[in-house]
Amino acid sequence: MAMSPNTPQNIRWVAICVAIVGGMLAIALNAAPLYDAFCKVTGFGGTTQTATKAPGVVLDQTIEIRFDVNVPPGTPLEFKTGQTSETLKIGETGLAHFTVRNLSDRPVKAIASYNVTPHTTGLYFQKLQCFCFEDMVFQPGQTLDLPVIYFIDPDIVKNRDTRDVHTITLSYTYYQQADG
Amino acid sequence: MATNQTAHADEHAHGDHRPSPYNPLRWLFSTNHKDIGTMYLIFAIIAGVIGGAMSGLIRWELAEPGVQIFWGMADAGNLGTDKLFSVQMPDGSHKAIFGNEHGYNVMVTMHGLIMIFFMVMPAMIGGFGNWFVPLMIGAPDMAFPRMNNISFWLLPVAFALATISMLVPGGSMGQGFGGGWTLYAPLSTSQQLHGGPSMDLLILSLHIAGISSILGAINFIVTIFNMRAPGMTLHRMPLFVWSILVTVWLLLLSLPVLAGAITMLLTDRNFGTNFFNAAGGGDPVMYQHLFWFFGHPEVYILILPGFGIVSQIVSTFSKKPVFGYLGMAYAMVSIGVIGFIVWAHHMYTVGMGLELEAYFVAATMIIAVPTGIKIFSWIATMWGGSIDLKVPMLWAIGFIFLFTLGGVTGVVLANSGIDTVLHDTYYVVAHFHYVLSMGAVFAIFAGFYYWLPKMSGLKYSGLLGGLHFWIFFVGVNIIFFPQHFLGLQGMPRRYADYPDGFAYWNYVSSIGYAITAVGALVFFYMLLDMFVLRRRKLETAENASPWGEGATTLEWTLSSPPPFHQFNELPVVAEEKHH
Repeated sequence: MAMSPNTPQNIRWVAICVAIVGGMLAIALNAAPLYDAFCKVTGFGGTTQTATKAPGVVLDQTIEIRFDVNVPPGTPLEFKTGQTSETLKIGETGLAHFTVRNLSDRPVKAIASYNVTPHTTGLYFQKLQCFCFEDMVFQPGQTLDLPVIYFIDPDIVKNRDTRDVHTITLSYTYYQQADG
Repeated sequence: MATNQTAHADEHAHGDHRPSPYNPLRWLFSTNHKDIGTMYLIFAIIAGVIGGAMSGLIRWELAEPGVQIFWGMADAGNLGTDKLFSVQMPDGSHKAIFGNEHGYNVMVTMHGLIMIFFMVMPAMIGGFGNWFVPLMIGAPDMAFPRMNNISFWLLPVAFALATISMLVPGGSMGQGFGGGWTLYAPLSTSQQLHGGPSMDLLILSLHIAGISSILGAINFIVTIFNMRAPGMTLHRMPLFVWSILVTVWLLLLSLPVLAGAITMLLTDRNFGTNFFNAAGGGDPVMYQHLFWFFGHPEVYILILPGFGIVSQIVSTFSKKPVFGYLGMAYAMVSIGVIGFIVWAHHMYTVGMGLELEAYFVAATMIIAVPTGIKIFSWIATMWGGSIDLKVPMLWAIGFIFLFTLGGVTGVVLANSGIDTVLHDTYYVVAHFHYVLSMGAVFAIFAGFYYWLPKMSGLKYSGLLGGLHFWIFFVGVNIIFFPQHFLGLQGMPRRYADYPDGFAYWNYVSSIGYAITAVGALVFFYMLLDMFVLRRRKLETAENASPWGEGATTLEWTLSSPPPFHQFNELPVVAEEKHH
């Protein structure tokens, strides 16, 4: 028996299905900004926070910050840290020095990326000043001193996931950009 | 059950204008749900043979320590003369046909993708779904028969692209993509490791397979919602139809996410975006989240139709209605819903917060509740029933036993603490092969033996079917049970070689493969015997329903094979007489 597939009820369900597929596709393709926003808000995956002023409170409890720097193999940059670790009170402002030297004889454009481990402490690692996610151009043989000013948010002791953390590692990676 | 006398009367009238099977246009242009279902089943068998042969190479390679088949790294001069699968090049040197260890990884990757996208999904959804959803709900065909044709014919295209992907350069290590079926970035986006066209072809292949599945899903949803016979309310639908309904909703919601994720892989690879590239501010872990948001529902897509098939079979051969019908239907619905909120249990090792992990552990374990409802209801269906251990019932009981075993190791792996130790070991391989290679595949064979007489009108040899079952049952258990031991001892997945300490159980596992391969040969001999050698037709008395009084769903009211066009007058399903 011939039954036309294009009845209104059929078209209605097709429209619903197509809308669902389109909606899911749109969400998936916009995952990057959504995920970015989610990480910034929750500190997910060790995403650190930026702050404009130091906290008023300084706790009578210290925490050790370790510094790790690296570049992918083949990058013509020397990336060093002025201190392997620093112990400070929670809430106290710390200053860390990093130096980058261009080992090659041509300008190198690079971008720094970083996170902290344990990832759960990302929410409490507050940076007042840093070099990150900005293209920098290093002239041949040039050495640059790059400071990071940061503090650990005293709220870290209130979170069950982070209150027993006594060491946080800040890891920086310098990636060479294609056109530099 | 509404008897459908009219369809019987019609079957030799205009319902049976069946075109010749030797006319290629019948298949190429087919809009008939039964013909398309048959094509899906044949396609799945071909893909299953190819995917199964690949797992044979994997087990051959792993049969003993050292590199057996994938020895390409060692091909200097004439070293290859006494090696397996060695081919002489024009310059006199010898090369390995299957390449180096990268070739092994390509085998593992493609085995997974082929079995998932080109074997299990086409067999269960495309094959049995197309054949029996319209028959079971009393519909003349699918809602959109021409779209059904497109859904099928996109699949061979996708399969061809996947095959070409294995043959073209993958990157610095050789042909094909070897990054695992999950296609994780950065391995899949790295120009250095997979810079060749192989990965791009694979992405295109998955896009096309995904479009095929989404079109099929829309077709099933419209068919099930709008084309049920009078009286066939949602709560009277057979459980197999319920299982397909839940499955296609999962497809509709999850596949676009995979499509989005692999589109981003494509742009990261070719158009300079940095979605998953840490150097550009992206995050490779985001790919894992996207992938598993698709991937976890996907594993339920693979098993849910099997739940439906097993429910029909257990009821038929216990000669009892399914115990707790509504509970069974809504257990599948809740498995589908929960399947969307547990994805991160595949990625405990990325460094989540403890509380987030605790959530995913708890949510994952909750799945054991509806799954348990299903297992207990199957047992309760058998309890006190008049059980007939015919071949489909053997496979169905085998399914229940092996799927439960795989489910138990799943609960073990759901614990993030234990998973941190067992992540990416053979314990995980054993777990998902118990639920898929034995769960899904046993359900497919159960359904195949259950419906084959209905689809063909022919009888098969119960002896050969039973032999197939027992050889397979012993074989797959010998393959996969020892892999639990290997995983607990710390043997990692996705390596072509291993230390001597793992030799014993790997050898046992490879023997299991050989036994299973013999079982597969019995299966093909059974088909040869059924369709060519003896070709016994079902007797008139049992033509409509060879399984007797226990088979109560609508497809058993029709002749075998069913008329080319059925239900010219819609059957009416009475209250009290359903599922």
